[in-house]
Amino acid sequence: MAAIAGQQRGKASRKATYRDPRIWMLLLAAALTLVDGYLIFMVAPTDLVLGHIQRIFYIHVPISILSFLGFLLCAIAGVGYLIRRTERWDRLAHASAEVGVVFVTLALVTGVIWARPVWGVWWTWEPRLTTTLILWFIYVAYLMIRNYAPTPQQGRTWSAVVGIIGFVDVPIVYYSVQWWRSIHPVQVIGPEAADDALEPIMARILVFSLVAMLTLFAYLLMERMALRGAEDALSQLRREGNSD
Amino acid sequence: MTELPPANLPFLFAAFAVVWVVFFIYAAYMSWRRQSVQRELDDMRRSGASSSERILGDAPNDDGV
Repeated sequence: MAAIAGQQRGKASRKATYRDPRIWMLLLAAALTLVDGYLIFMVAPTDLVLGHIQRIFYIHVPISILSFLGFLLCAIAGVGYLIRRTERWDRLAHASAEVGVVFVTLALVTGVIWARPVWGVWWTWEPRLTTTLILWFIYVAYLMIRNYAPTPQQGRTWSAVVGIIGFVDVPIVYYSVQWWRSIHPVQVIGPEAADDALEPIMARILVFSLVAMLTLFAYLLMERMALRGAEDALSQLRREGNSD
Repeated sequence: MTELPPANLPFLFAAFAVVWVVFFIYAAYMSWRRQSVQRELDDMRRSGASSSERILGDAPNDDGV
């Protein structure tokens, strides 16, 4: 009897796994990433000026753009939370800020690795790098405020305000290469990019990389929101247990 | 014939390796943490349900028995 019940539970659990959209998103991200790796290393032409190191650009640019998307979602969800005061908005704001921090950290790291052979230094205080570092500090502060505020309620409200105000730095990062002309390459994607900024094949591979990274971003965001949902349910149960 | 600049392959490898290692560790950590929280949740719910059953079992029924 117990064995049959166990088998039924196992079947139900497997069915639930197949229905979980996160699994499908992860599989899609993995498949697109493999194809992307092939395109970057086997199809993309080698840059005549920079050589093979230029291939970093195919991950550095999408990662940077998706960190902006994370902070945009965080700001929108922050506004939603301040108006509605619901857990759902706060969960989205928290998850997108954390995933955004992971992406902007990787944007900084890949940029630094690219800078060493191309510029001859690991780091220079030029406007794009400096404003990106400021962006990193703002959203690390956002995550710290959530954890160290006197009450969870205050943490949610204060961090929502930081998430909204902090987003002001995103357009500054994007336009920094035009406002303060420096050694960082100008935009190759977005409203300020020149039409002939890239070879057509390079532009197509860049767009493909962006789509592959977007699926990975979506998977990480969904996984983080699910984790936060489970953590909230656990704290709720603990509170109820303590009040009994 | 145009000569290509230095390949700088260690830098290229380092950049891709860092990106994929960080993504993998972050995704694996979240998945592991969610499963651990979910197990704790299930345990608490089961122990909550069994203690309510015990309380209901001890409580007198409608006939006061």
